[in-house]
Amino acid sequence: MSMRTPLGKVRGLGSAKSGTEHFWHQRMTAVANIPLLIFLVYFCVSMVGATRAEMADAIANPLVALMLVFTIISVTWHMRLGMQVIIEDYVHGEGSKLICLLGNTFFSLAVALTGLFAVLKISFGG
Amino acid sequence: MANSPMKERPLSPHLSIYKPMLTMMMSIVHRITGAGLYFGMALFVWWLFAAAHSQGYFDFVQGFIGSWFGRLVLLGFTWALIHHALGGLRHLLWDTGRGFDLVKIEWLARANIAASVALTLLIWIAAYVAR
Amino acid sequence: MVELALPKNSQVGEGKIWPKPEGASNTREFKVYRWSPDDDANPQVDTYSVDLDDCGPMVLDALIKIKNEIDPTLTFRRSCREGICGSCAMNIDGTNTLACTRGIDEVDGDVRIYPLPHMPVVKDLVPDLSQFYAQHRSIEPWLKTETPEPRTEWKQSHQDREKLDGLYECILCACCSTSCPSYWWNGDRYLGPAILLQAYRWLIDSRDEATGERLDNLEDPFRLYRCHTIMNCSKACPKSLNPAKAIAEIKKMMVERRV
Repeated sequence: MSMRTPLGKVRGLGSAKSGTEHFWHQRMTAVANIPLLIFLVYFCVSMVGATRAEMADAIANPLVALMLVFTIISVTWHMRLGMQVIIEDYVHGEGSKLICLLGNTFFSLAVALTGLFAVLKISFGG
Repeated sequence: MANSPMKERPLSPHLSIYKPMLTMMMSIVHRITGAGLYFGMALFVWWLFAAAHSQGYFDFVQGFIGSWFGRLVLLGFTWALIHHALGGLRHLLWDTGRGFDLVKIEWLARANIAASVALTLLIWIAAYVAR
Repeated sequence: MVELALPKNSQVGEGKIWPKPEGASNTREFKVYRWSPDDDANPQVDTYSVDLDDCGPMVLDALIKIKNEIDPTLTFRRSCREGICGSCAMNIDGTNTLACTRGIDEVDGDVRIYPLPHMPVVKDLVPDLSQFYAQHRSIEPWLKTETPEPRTEWKQSHQDREKLDGLYECILCACCSTSCPSYWWNGDRYLGPAILLQAYRWLIDSRDEATGERLDNLEDPFRLYRCHTIMNCSKACPKSLNPAKAIAEIKKMMVERRV
């Protein structure tokens, strides 16, 4: 039973002096995602039933490859920020919170790098 | 009285008694679709990786996508993507300070649902036609 | 992990069903949350039958009638009975509102009355609002100036005064903050809609000179940015204020100063 005054508890460790950057980056990637999602849907629909060769042909086109690169970067950045907020909302134990936050960053990075590697490899004819 | 230990106060009920509202449900669905897309993105990247990997592995992944379960996941992913994107547009509107009057809010929520279902259907019809 | 279910000592059980009034033809059932620190028991829901023909129109009238005529131990806060003091804020029929401005006829069927959600309960319908008040104090809700005080008043144009409309009228009843799921899960670090509305009231007061400092104090992932525009707050406000919009305006100011 803490004897700290309510004001002391509310003031806590003081303001973190950061938070708007996260908010801004989330909005920025959200706006970028709008045209990129239109591209993504178009790409996936056109790849329905495609063979590996047809897919390689499509991605060999530098514009398609570039759009995929933009999409992967913007989406994984946006999803990392979003999941971070979910974790902060629901996970409160300091230890588990840190592990989840690290996991989130690593997962998002892994997804991003795997996607980028795959697109570039196919695009360069590998 | 002075010697009795301070009893731990109970917490008043919240989720169990609060009236569920459309806007509240839309908010949590926005979060759930976001979380679903988080993992769905990994599946998308898995598909790209399979194409970069080898013919054999690619065939395996394409087979999975073509299965009834794979198509179900794909349908869910499509709807989640459209619904989350449209919800995102609502959030961006709110960020400009607009759309906060209580009547407009309800209309926007309904429009979000209707449009996400309609667009999902359109995309899937387009995909079948294109095949 | 966030606790979606109530802790063991807070789970609500079935309570007492009080006798119906004799000879009354127009009665309504009131199901009211009860808990006393003097008993060693979990909270429960008691059922009272109230003769509406012999009762005022508002839910508060019914609560007072129950306390006067049926059960004097029923405990709740109340004062002005006209929707201006904020004392009788509670959860009625699933939404947070003032008991003195909620008509009994606005509720269908049994009237379910609970304390404001996710708050420590002092007794029956009385929540512990100390954290809420401390949060208000923490945003320094007074005019902060360095310029020497003028001989008469700090001047403010009509336009600037209009910006305070929809903000100064807040009665700090806590209906909005306690309706917010983010405040439920993170009320210890998130300031909540009521306090953020008041923070905005001071941020856009043209006479205040500490705007930057105030924004610095909100620059925090929890204090301000736990708001996800869930919108329960604006829907709950019994004074028809719009905390969600005020919070959006604060976020705009936060972006504006770094662009």
